[in-house]
Amino acid sequence: MIRASDLRAPWLWLSLAALVALLVFIVYPVANILTASVSGDQNGWSRLLADPRGLTAILNALILASVVTCTCVLIGVPLAYVTARYRFFGKSIIALLPLITLVIPEVISAQTWLMALGNNGLITRFLRDIGIQLPTFYGWFGLVTVMTFVYYTYVYIGTVAAISGFDSTLEEAAQSLGTSPARSRMKVMLPVILPSILASALLVFTMVVGNFAISMILANRLPLLSVVTYQAAVSEGGAAPVMQSTFATVSVVMVMLILFLNRWIVSRGRFEIAQGRGARPVPITGWRGAVIGLAASFIVIVSLVPLAVIAVGAFTVSRGPVMQWGNWTLANMERVFINAPQPLVNSLIYAGAATLIGICFSALVSYLIIKKRNAVTPWLDYISSIPLALSGTVLGIGLVVSFNSGWLPLTGTATIMVLALLVRRLPFGMRSAQATLHNIPNSIEEASISLGSPPLRTFFKVVLPMMGPAIASAAILTWTTSVSELSASILVYSGGRETLTIQVFRLIGSNLMAYASAYGLVLIAVIIIPIIVATKVFKIDVFASK
Amino acid sequence: MGIDIKNLYVNYGGMDVIADLSLTIPEGCFFTLLGPSGCGKTTLLRTIAGFVQAAKGNIYFQSQDVTRLPPHRRNIGMVFQDYALFPDKTVAENVAYGLRARGESGEAMMKKVRHELEHVGLGHVMDRHPAALSGGQRQRVALARAMVIKPQVLLMDEPLSNLDAKLRIQIRETISDLQREANITTVFVTHDQEEALSMSDRIGVMNKGKVEQLGTPKEIYATPRTAYVADFVGAANRINVTVAEANADGTARIMLGDAAILARNTLTGTSRDGILIMRPEDLRLKPRTSAEMQGLMGRVVKRQYLGGKTSYKLALPDETLINVDSHGDDHDGFEIGTDVIATIDPSKAMVIAS
Repeated sequence: MIRASDLRAPWLWLSLAALVALLVFIVYPVANILTASVSGDQNGWSRLLADPRGLTAILNALILASVVTCTCVLIGVPLAYVTARYRFFGKSIIALLPLITLVIPEVISAQTWLMALGNNGLITRFLRDIGIQLPTFYGWFGLVTVMTFVYYTYVYIGTVAAISGFDSTLEEAAQSLGTSPARSRMKVMLPVILPSILASALLVFTMVVGNFAISMILANRLPLLSVVTYQAAVSEGGAAPVMQSTFATVSVVMVMLILFLNRWIVSRGRFEIAQGRGARPVPITGWRGAVIGLAASFIVIVSLVPLAVIAVGAFTVSRGPVMQWGNWTLANMERVFINAPQPLVNSLIYAGAATLIGICFSALVSYLIIKKRNAVTPWLDYISSIPLALSGTVLGIGLVVSFNSGWLPLTGTATIMVLALLVRRLPFGMRSAQATLHNIPNSIEEASISLGSPPLRTFFKVVLPMMGPAIASAAILTWTTSVSELSASILVYSGGRETLTIQVFRLIGSNLMAYASAYGLVLIAVIIIPIIVATKVFKIDVFASK
Repeated sequence: MGIDIKNLYVNYGGMDVIADLSLTIPEGCFFTLLGPSGCGKTTLLRTIAGFVQAAKGNIYFQSQDVTRLPPHRRNIGMVFQDYALFPDKTVAENVAYGLRARGESGEAMMKKVRHELEHVGLGHVMDRHPAALSGGQRQRVALARAMVIKPQVLLMDEPLSNLDAKLRIQIRETISDLQREANITTVFVTHDQEEALSMSDRIGVMNKGKVEQLGTPKEIYATPRTAYVADFVGAANRINVTVAEANADGTARIMLGDAAILARNTLTGTSRDGILIMRPEDLRLKPRTSAEMQGLMGRVVKRQYLGGKTSYKLALPDETLINVDSHGDDHDGFEIGTDVIATIDPSKAMVIAS
């Protein structure tokens, strides 16, 4: 229902403007993908059914996602349990875990694992020298290993949050009723935290299905959905985008199904914990403490391997693909900063613009959705969460197909680069802004208005300052994830618009690991410096909104 | 500045939350809207403030029609249940907020802020943030923030319900003093009858979107016009009765078993069926003697000693239960199982239409 008073206030007009932007840059590209699979001379779906490689790719993606999800749960849940419930030697380094996942771009994880365990890797060569032959790292072995160590933290973070929110008096109640401590835990705690574990496991599943960087670098000749989608996009070039759209549609449908399943599990499993007196971690010593401490530290150290390898690689002499380990040089860094600084400059500009626009847009649109509901705002909510169901590759294809030519040609511009980052990371900012707005009671705004401050002034004077800390941490998250974005930007970029991640990816493809390490190290610095400044100088709790 | 509400309708999603409500609040009056949750009292307050749009009808501040005026132009002071202090601003900045919105600044403004805060006894916490204050202090800041702008009307939405019992009484006094000094027309929303009775000049008891009875605290308590009002304001025994004899002096004779009782008769026309209303504290207990036939015959079935008084539950001959509060010396003197008689002054009992 739209009333005359709604037309006078600015909110309805702002909602409509936001809706138009979302329709053009999210709905239109997605619609193009869905229709392009059947609109060409050939029907993409009949071609897909006749193509064994395409079908195998879909099947492989499902198998890989299932396996990695299982391994992530097997590592993440026990690790979360011991950190939430026990104190032991080395526990403080485990607190670094969330940081690590966010900081290290996937492309760098893949690269460094390859530098360690690839055909010419450090460890491979060492083991070969003492007579042990490792299986080739390309294919299943490498994919599962790298993805497990990249994604298990998502399970870990989700489970830690659930266990710390669990009211431990429930467990004591179960024990007082006569069940043993171990049984109490299984009977009382597990059902309560299970939905969180499942939700984070499904998140891992969707991320594996959509994963581009690790798949491209390590799949080699193994067909995988995200790889064949990208290859179809590259090979179809300017021709009718039939097969890429078909594969992209498969991916969208798959991820959507998982997201619906996820939502169903979360809605069914939401138990009210009346009072959250979390258990205090108890110290664990002796041989059990040592074992747990060692196992936990091992996982963390393995997660940190990429950082070490890349730091060494960046200063190592190389001749083409051959790394001369032990010989140091500054030539690689010189190339990043002096000879070919364009990727660094591009990354800073594109990610900066995407973060700025994305955060302003999220703050305003979230405000409309939560505080100024009207007929339009539910649609803003739905549409702005669509990118959650799009892998970067799918989004990239959508943008290319929609804005290559026609009424809004953007190909080759910086705009489309910013757009790719912006749309891909929009749900991040939206989610964090909405969470804070839910915590600002309406009475605060009404107090301001009752004191004579008009609605728009109230937004800027009262609401925005209260959202400040959350906006800052969302901005930093958006920045870090935008800088490390690869899968969408690699489809929309053109010569001269390479970002750091694209550059690293291309250098890995050419097997120039020393240069790749140098660009990668700078990339990590670009990500990590704002985090350090924010947490140390401005005291912002970067991970509060996560 | 008085408030005039004429034939007001408010609806949410097609349902009338307030229907055809008219109300006049005189200038300088402390007016309380009293009722249970969901009766429409907060909606009415928010409509006066302008946060809820009236579907039909008008609201006037003095002679100015403010029905379509947005809330920030109504010059109101509002105090909220959850204080609604701006958490990122200091106490002084909170109080200064409304003055700044009116274009004031500088030392003149800060003087007003300091004066208002000293007035509520908080001159010493000006530079603190709300998080560092106690609940009572926060509500005082909220009060100062609303009063410093010299509003035309002061609107308060259950301002005391988040405070503990002792503080509630303290802040109650602060509010009353400030209101009387400034002689500001005030609308106060509460579900607490004690608050309403102790603070108000006039009370409107609300039920289902309508004002069920309007009057001074004493009128509301002593002569409730409906069973609902009697029940909500204070406790009341309600017994369905048929009037045996309507006397010319305005009393009604009612037979309860063999015993008779006299009560004020508010029934009109030929109607004989009504509800007999008696407050527990107005009933007097006596040991039963065979001669006495005036009063309620009953047997003590429950007794609760409460220090200053004793609460009894009596079973009448037809097993109806009534409550009696006994004060005075030896108020706990009736054992369970004792046959007693409960009498009441005819002016304190009344029969109202059912």
